[in-house]
Amino acid sequence: MSDDGMAIDETGGGGLRRKGRGFKSRTAGESKDSEETYDRLDTKDASEQRAARSVEGWIVMVANVHEEATEEELNDKFADFGEIKNLHLNLDRRTGYVKGYALVEYETHREAKAAIDGLNGTDILGQIVSCDFAFVRPPAGGGGKPGRRDGRKRSASPGRR
Amino acid sequence: MADTDPFYFRYYTGHSGKHGHEFLEFEYSHGRLRYANNSNYRNDSLIRKEMWIGPLVVKELKRIVETSEIVKEDDANWPKPNIVGKQELEIRVGSHHISFETAKIGSLMDVSESEDPEGLRVFYYLVQDVKCLVFSLISLNFKIKPI
Repeated sequence: MSDDGMAIDETGGGGLRRKGRGFKSRTAGESKDSEETYDRLDTKDASEQRAARSVEGWIVMVANVHEEATEEELNDKFADFGEIKNLHLNLDRRTGYVKGYALVEYETHREAKAAIDGLNGTDILGQIVSCDFAFVRPPAGGGGKPGRRDGRKRSASPGRR
Repeated sequence: MADTDPFYFRYYTGHSGKHGHEFLEFEYSHGRLRYANNSNYRNDSLIRKEMWIGPLVVKELKRIVETSEIVKEDDANWPKPNIVGKQELEIRVGSHHISFETAKIGSLMDVSESEDPEGLRVFYYLVQDVKCLVFSLISLNFKIKPI
C-alpha cells in the first residue's frame, strides 16, 4: 500500500496505512479544536455510575439484532420492563434489512436497567443480543483527548457524585 | 476511564454560497460524538451537540465501518469537490487511516455515472448508514430533529 513518508503519526507505532486526497486539503472542520462551544446535557441528577440520562428518558442500545426483526417483535420483548417511549430500528440503506441495532427509550433508569439486565446476552430470533446504556457521562474533566485542556470555561467537576 | 482506542470517524459535507458556509459534520473520537450543523437558510443558527456514547454504541459504529470495507476503497477516481460542495470522510480504524474527499452526491445516478461506481457506492451507503445511526442518537438524546 502507499505507505509514504507521512508515517509520523503520534500513536502509529508503525504500520499505519494512510490513503486519500483529504490528507492534502482538509476543510477546517468545525468540530476540531473547539473544546467549549458544544451543547451537552449535564447529567447531575442521577446516582448511577456510568449511564447518562437523555432529555426525556434513558436510552438502551441493542446490538446484534436479527436482520429480519420487526419493531413489533422488539416491542414485545422490551415492553416487559416498562413502557417504551421510543424505539428506533434502523435499516441498512443498501439492503433494506435491519442494520443490526435498535435503540429503545424508557422513562426511568430503573426500567432501562431492568431491560438491560433482563435481555443482555439473551436469544432474540436466534441471535444473542447485547444491551447496554447508549449514553454515558463524560469522563471526569470533560475533555475528549486525555490530557488535553485549552480554555475551558467551566471548572473541572470534582469527582462526580 | 479514558477510551484509548484510536478509532476515529469524521464526516463533513458542506459548501460555501450566498448563505455563507453551510455544512453538516459529525465526529467520533475517544467516546465522544459531536454534531455540528450550520444552515443559514431562514434561521442562521449554528447547532452544535455533543454526547458521550457507551462502548456498545461505539462497537456498533465500528462494526458498520468495518463491514462496509471502506478502507479498501480509494478516492483517487472519485468526482472532485466542486462549487456545489464537498464531502470529506476521515476514518482511523485498525492499521488504516483514510481521508477521502469528493463532490456532493445527489443521487445514485451520480454514483453509477462516476469513474469508480463500486467504490463510490460503498462510500455513499456507509455515509447513509452512519448518518442514520447518528441522527437517531441525536434525536433520542436531545429531542431535536436534525436537518
